[in-house]
Amino acid sequence: MRSLVTGSSIRGLPVVTIAGGEDVAEVRDVLYSPEAGRVVGLTLNKRGFLAGRRREVLSAETIHAIGRDAVMVDDESSLLLPADAPEEVGAPPSGRDVTGDEVLTDGGTSLGQVRDVVVLVGSKGEVVGYEIETASGGTGYIPLPVQLAVSGSTLVVPEATKGFVEDDLVGLGAAVDEFRSTVGI
Amino acid sequence: MSESFAAAAGRKMVSRASAEELGKLAHIVVDVEQRRVACLTAGKRRKALLVDWENVSGFGPDAVIVTDESALHEARDDRERAAADGKLDLLGKRALSDMGDDLGPVTDVVFDPASGAVETLVLGDHEEPATALLAAGSFAAIIRTEPQQ
Repeated sequence: MRSLVTGSSIRGLPVVTIAGGEDVAEVRDVLYSPEAGRVVGLTLNKRGFLAGRRREVLSAETIHAIGRDAVMVDDESSLLLPADAPEEVGAPPSGRDVTGDEVLTDGGTSLGQVRDVVVLVGSKGEVVGYEIETASGGTGYIPLPVQLAVSGSTLVVPEATKGFVEDDLVGLGAAVDEFRSTVGI
Repeated sequence: MSESFAAAAGRKMVSRASAEELGKLAHIVVDVEQRRVACLTAGKRRKALLVDWENVSGFGPDAVIVTDESALHEARDDRERAAADGKLDLLGKRALSDMGDDLGPVTDVVFDPASGAVETLVLGDHEEPATALLAAGSFAAIIRTEPQQ
């Protein structure tokens, strides 16, 4: 059983230092790499009402854990200026947003369109699935294999994914491991 | 015998030298690295006074005995002012696991009144050993949840 959160629920979470117990920033946006299948970093806002953007970013390597209630970092030195961060975080390429992409099985069935990424709670940003809008307009959650083919507007997943479209994150959390053993990764 | 922060709040503080009551115990400040009580405060706001743990000669069930009146001092820096205002209190602070999960507020702190050593943090219906406390800041007390190697 895995505990999961969507990318949109990570936005706004406080970024808290383990060394000091201080809230040094909050999450502005999630930087996701579809090729890597994981969150590569987070952009940040200052803490507080009407506070603006922070220049610094968090790279996945400097994140201790993305939790349900906070993103934990070791200390304030974990916040990097864009120039000091890996390029995919400091200067992320445009056009890699997976939102709206069509999800096709390798058998040729469309499962729907990507709405959000689903992140493993307590990880540094492991993405285990997507929230999708199904053809009927409903919400579904699909698990992802570690490797998958992505183009600008479409991603291809194993045919077996059809049997693992879940109604909620709890269902997906329970299905991830079985799915991964089914598709053999 | 252990003492608890919640039970001790409001206890009278008495000078051993003069037997005068010096005020009521307001806040207990913990040195997180040492995991022990660093100082106590008496009174509120501008009348707040601090006493270092070294000058507490007895922490009993009915009173806290301080060596003498001169051991109480006003806040000398920002940190002591924050302590006197209760901003450094562990009691009532949000507890956050090092994995980013909110564990609820710290509802009590159990310590050894002889040594000042903090023994246990009470978080609602469960407890954490003091060794799990990694930091206490303005936002949260950080609790280690991963097993220590």
